[in-house]
Amino acid sequence: MLLNNRIFDHYRENMTIGDVIEVMRFTYPRLVVKVNGRLIQKSEYNSTILNENDDVKIHHLLAGG
Amino acid sequence: MNLQELKNNRKILTEYSYEKKDLYRGYTDKTLYINISNNEVKVKDVSDRMKEKFIGGKGYGMRYLWDAVTPETRWDSEENEIIVAVGPVGGITQYPGSGKSLVCTISPMTDIPIDSNVGGYFGPYLKFSGFDALEIQGKAERDVVIIIDGKEKTVRIEEAPLEAVDGHILGEQLTNMYGNSESEKRLVSVITAGTAAEHTRIGILNFTFYDLRRKTARMKQAGRGGIGTVFRNKKIKAVVVIAEEVKGNLNNAFDQGIINETGIKLHREMAHLDHLQNNMRKIGTANIIEVMDAYDLLPVHNFQYGSHPDTKKIESKVFIRDYCTQNMPDGCWYGCSVACSKAADNFELKTGPYKGHKVVVDGPEYENAAGVGANCGIFDPHAVLELNFYCDTYGIDTISYGTLTAFAMECYERGIINKEITGGLDLRFGNADASLALIHQMAKGEGFGLIAGQGVHRMKKHFVENYGADAAFLEDIGAEQKGLEYSQYMSKESLAQQGGYGLTNKGPQHDEAWLIFMDMINNQIPTFENKAEALHYFPMFRTWFGLLGLCKLPWNDIVPANNSETEEPAKIQEHVDNYHKLYYGITGTKIDSAEMIRQSERVYNFQRIFNIRMGKGLRKNDKTPYRTMGPVTKEEYLSRESNYEKQMIELGFDLTGKTVEEKIALLRKHRESQYEQLTDAVYKRRGWTMNGVPTPEKLKDLGMDLPELLEVIKPYL
Amino acid sequence: MKRLIKDESLCIGCGACEEKCSTAYFKENNREKSRIKVEKMEHWNRLTICTQCGVCAEVCPTLALKKDILGVVRLNKKECVGCFICVGFCPEDAMMQHDDYHEPFKCIACGLCTEVCPTGAIKIREF
Repeated sequence: MLLNNRIFDHYRENMTIGDVIEVMRFTYPRLVVKVNGRLIQKSEYNSTILNENDDVKIHHLLAGG
Repeated sequence: MNLQELKNNRKILTEYSYEKKDLYRGYTDKTLYINISNNEVKVKDVSDRMKEKFIGGKGYGMRYLWDAVTPETRWDSEENEIIVAVGPVGGITQYPGSGKSLVCTISPMTDIPIDSNVGGYFGPYLKFSGFDALEIQGKAERDVVIIIDGKEKTVRIEEAPLEAVDGHILGEQLTNMYGNSESEKRLVSVITAGTAAEHTRIGILNFTFYDLRRKTARMKQAGRGGIGTVFRNKKIKAVVVIAEEVKGNLNNAFDQGIINETGIKLHREMAHLDHLQNNMRKIGTANIIEVMDAYDLLPVHNFQYGSHPDTKKIESKVFIRDYCTQNMPDGCWYGCSVACSKAADNFELKTGPYKGHKVVVDGPEYENAAGVGANCGIFDPHAVLELNFYCDTYGIDTISYGTLTAFAMECYERGIINKEITGGLDLRFGNADASLALIHQMAKGEGFGLIAGQGVHRMKKHFVENYGADAAFLEDIGAEQKGLEYSQYMSKESLAQQGGYGLTNKGPQHDEAWLIFMDMINNQIPTFENKAEALHYFPMFRTWFGLLGLCKLPWNDIVPANNSETEEPAKIQEHVDNYHKLYYGITGTKIDSAEMIRQSERVYNFQRIFNIRMGKGLRKNDKTPYRTMGPVTKEEYLSRESNYEKQMIELGFDLTGKTVEEKIALLRKHRESQYEQLTDAVYKRRGWTMNGVPTPEKLKDLGMDLPELLEVIKPYL
Repeated sequence: MKRLIKDESLCIGCGACEEKCSTAYFKENNREKSRIKVEKMEHWNRLTICTQCGVCAEVCPTLALKKDILGVVRLNKKECVGCFICVGFCPEDAMMQHDDYHEPFKCIACGLCTEVCPTGAIKIREF
């Protein structure tokens, strides 16, 4: 699985977006999540199961203090 | 001291009457010039050419400053000016963040122009009183107060021997002196510095705004680059402006309806989305203290580390729960529904000349908490607020104060300086009492406070020359560039942000570009060209706020609900479009993103060449200290050892048999070369030579091939 | 405490309230200038009325909006700077604004509209 164009080392089967966010400790509230180009809403984070060859993007929308 | 007594001791040096010009489409096209050496006051016309090329705000500030100084001018030269300018959009009351003043001067820290973007009511009131900008030149013999009275249409310079100097006292005195009722007090705005601005190079200006609910004059800060030091060196205690009235139409816009609609749309976003996003209305910028810690980006112990277990003691909810008053419309200008100017009321001070006083403390803002807090290892919320209060009222920059104290603390812990040198201050990381003692010394102009108050750049030199410190090591760990201290983010793991700090005009401040997440976490700008594009677009885009009189926060500290579905979410295109609408609504001229960037590029390149003219602004001045690029010491390296090793292995480095020191050296060589490559790419994108000099072709393309600019760059081509 | 109450099931969407309101306060029959709003939806009519909840007064930077002795929120135009934060923050969308004016306007529970309502969909209630 790719996370933000980098190989994701912590992949395990049946992992959800929610799990990835937890493993990566992405605590920032404004995330833009896409799986294979498809936008995933926050409500779907825990029901979206990821496959090994998915291209996942979790972008943090923060551009400065 | 009663106000009558203060007044009785005033001596009028000049009284000048003027005819007030009303605004037309955001401009009066008049500026006010005051010389306090000879008490000359005059009104200048703004030429069409100046308006076209420099727009307003920081553009006007840079233009006037250029004309006032020579390459030999230093911060304390008589001809140095302080310019306060607004911009065509500044002073509208409908769109959040539209009350900013831009302040420019030759900085005592960097010897080049500095610009600082500040809230409070002064800038808009200056416009409403008839002036797009204010220039102050010269030096007074004795302490003066300048009064710009938009009601009476007079400008007065008065000797003011008895007034206080500290910001919170003087702001209150003058607000009460010129405002007889609550309604009148809010028509007064005061610029002050503070006592520590007299003894340090890190002086700030405080700009007041009257808080009708708290019934007190509060302050916003033009913080960076020592402008308050210049102000007190000129013997100015305060500049007061009195507005005749505040209404929603004083800018006399081309189409007020567009402005109303755009403003209300953003107010609705704030109402519906802020609590789901950044909580700006509840806690302001302090919302990111814990975010930065979680992502290893919060500077700890002089930028050595990016997080600390004790951060939870100063995270935003602590301030919300225990200190900051909630549900107040805390905007620093009317119409700001982002309302980030939080305040702690009835805060009882534990130290210093105001010990026991209950005061209103503005903040904490992120930079304060990170700088005077985490970076100095101080995780005590009361101490953070107390330091914040004293920085403001004494008139010094919390960002520079935080970074320079952290530097002094690291030097102390490493034995480079000791108690003998600090005059007994036990400057261990985490010692809040020592930091408070230091700040009081700065205000009194005594002890180690005098040395530290010179800033990191001069402390390094002092420690090397007087105490035999290792110059190369201090160069590595001192978080300053061009003489200005770094602001409070860790750029070690983001090459793009190293450029965001290093490849700036005024020095390492994050107001040009904040790319850490885009780069390090999101991996959206992997190549040098991608990074260079971001380091072109964002600095130019953000420069525009300073031309127009705007604040950056309403651009991206709130985003529309559907922003994530847009092509480039980081740009927040809908909000960028709002700015195009505001510009059109005010001036009647349509612009698009390309024109917006061109407007900024003109001023940005002008400022770059101004730097070159003053002796900085070349490639060698854009180098950054290694502390901000990678691990200087073994401890730093080991704290992220597995990450660093992984990176180096991915790069194909053979680490077998290498000592930690060798690995550090290897990583350093790599990172320094990356920064050079990034510099090449950015200069190329900006249209500069590889020495960082804007080319004549670029200037011509921008319509900025002015003879005075071409003359400066000529020797470098 | 005094305020307007509504029963949308009775509203027939005739717009008499809007006409009365705008004519009384702006001397003009223009629903864009009414402090009460009626919108025809597919199967019902939406009435937008002020509940005098006071959110507008809380967010007002100049204290120009204040509750009077009867609990009615009133705007002091002299103190208003026309920022329209109240318009954006009103939970009922009942703080109105029109580009002909520099200040917003709102229902002051005067009851004129109730006098012309043919069905009793709006009433003044005193608590």
